Amino acid sequence: MGLSEKNEEKRSFVNKIKKNSFLLLTLIPGFLYILAFFLIIVFFILQMSLTTYVGGMVETSPTLQNFVDLTSSEEFKDAFSRTFVFVIISTPLQLITGLVTAIIVNKSFKGRGIVRSIFLLPLAIPTIVTTATLLLLFSKGGHVTSLLMGDYSWFPAIVDYEISFLNNETLAIGLSILGKVWRDTPISMLILLAGLQSIDESQYEAAKTMGANSVRQFMYITIPLLIPAISSVLVLRSIEAWKEFIFPYILAPSYPILGVLIEKYFVQLNNPGMAAAIGVILIFLIVIFTVFLNWLLKKVNELLVRV
Amino acid sequence: MMKKWSIEKIFWLFLMVFSIVIVLFPIYIMFKYSISDRTSWITGGKYPIPWWPFDPNFEMYSYYLSDGRFWSSAWFSLKIAFLTIIISMGLGAPAAYALARFKFWGIGLVLFLILSVRMFPDVSSVLPVAQFFNLDIIYNIPITLKVAMGHTLLGLPYIILIAIGVFQTIPIDLEEQAQVMGATKFYAFTRIILPVALPGLAAGAIYVFLLSWNEFVFSYFITATSTADVIPLPVYLKTLLGAFSPNPVSIATLSLLVSLPVIIFTFIVQKYMIAGATAGAVK
Repeated sequence: MGLSEKNEEKRSFVNKIKKNSFLLLTLIPGFLYILAFFLIIVFFILQMSLTTYVGGMVETSPTLQNFVDLTSSEEFKDAFSRTFVFVIISTPLQLITGLVTAIIVNKSFKGRGIVRSIFLLPLAIPTIVTTATLLLLFSKGGHVTSLLMGDYSWFPAIVDYEISFLNNETLAIGLSILGKVWRDTPISMLILLAGLQSIDESQYEAAKTMGANSVRQFMYITIPLLIPAISSVLVLRSIEAWKEFIFPYILAPSYPILGVLIEKYFVQLNNPGMAAAIGVILIFLIVIFTVFLNWLLKKVNELLVRV
Repeated sequence: MMKKWSIEKIFWLFLMVFSIVIVLFPIYIMFKYSISDRTSWITGGKYPIPWWPFDPNFEMYSYYLSDGRFWSSAWFSLKIAFLTIIISMGLGAPAAYALARFKFWGIGLVLFLILSVRMFPDVSSVLPVAQFFNLDIIYNIPITLKVAMGHTLLGLPYIILIAIGVFQTIPIDLEEQAQVMGATKFYAFTRIILPVALPGLAAGAIYVFLLSWNEFVFSYFITATSTADVIPLPVYLKTLLGAFSPNPVSIATLSLLVSLPVIIFTFIVQKYMIAGATAGAVK
């Protein structure tokens, strides 16, 4: 009895495959492409990170030497703390700018479509162009330094010396954060906008009849109902912030974050082993941080629900 | 009550104007620099750089538009972008069709695997990919194809996601009717489903074009670690930034030239998306 059932199952499975053979055939090439690259990435990055190179040539393999070297490397520790600061500052900033722009676009007024298109504009501009603009604005003799020195008659002098934004660690990283936030705010805005639009208007009406002002409405209706959207902004944007490369690469090359350090080892120092080791650590850091952030958000959510 | 409301209104109006200025300001700065004459950016410290050039001109545009290096980079970027579209649409659209139509137990896992390749940071995943492309057996494939394959890796998961959505909006009756009339599945897919899905797929293709055109990390790492005579436009722009004393006018002009197709295409995507949303297939 059991055997024939099994046969029956087997036959129906084979039939299903036969029936859907066209669909399977269409799926396989794309799937294989991604799978192949997935395996290439995992295999080669592990192999490279477990190999030491001298002048681009393989020296010893397999070895944990790269990771051992990194644990005692001041450069790596600095890069790690810079990356951490970058994530911790740029993620909440993107949440705030995203929320402000989403609330603006969510209001009904004349020309809303145009304002929304303008707010989406940063996404349409290549990242390298955004960095170039910041570089022009903040480099020596650029508009911002002249402005702060009071060279323009309509603006008061704030400092009496020329600030070198790119040669100061705090300012250079701050500048990269500024660029990152400017460029990626539209993404946060779109996620939060979808959240805002799903809030039932009648809740506000009810609150209004009970005499709640707009600040209280925002605190007790908008924010709690936006928690899912806010959580996804924080998780997605912090992952992107860990991955960041181009803004600090152009604007803070002397103060590398982890991504920039990878480029330095791989392209400039011709040391793929060290670069891959940092790459592996970066992947693990993202995973650990994301798991932690999810746990934290869950706790915060539970706390809010109880109150 | 009335007064309070208007204060709030002014507050939001102020925030809106402020945000618009912040968004548009860098674009204005780029444009201003790109049309600057010499005295408007080499000031010798005697006067600050003006907010509008003394003698606006388009000299740098005509310089770049008649420059062979610019055109070879642009042509290289364009070839990469089109190759990326071809590979990722060729692989992605059929796969998305299967994922939209085929209901089987492992579908979640397949989707997860497809997306998981994007969870690696670009700057981590580019190392093994660049290393792989430098293996002896495939070292000799054209650099254009190598970069396009890298970009396909980035674009394919998005194409599949976009196209699944597109195919799901097409009623299954359409192809069943065709099969009742004797069409093969292949015929039904290529002659009936694809044309209906075209506007949506076009939006996906343009998305991939933008991704490839703007992409820096893969373009840079792959061309930097192999022998490439030409470099894609964003990498070319980066070489200008790295110069000892960068020329702001040429940076700004090149920046705008790189951005221009992107801004135009973004506009077209919007049109296609509206078309895709409103086009009804089954009457």
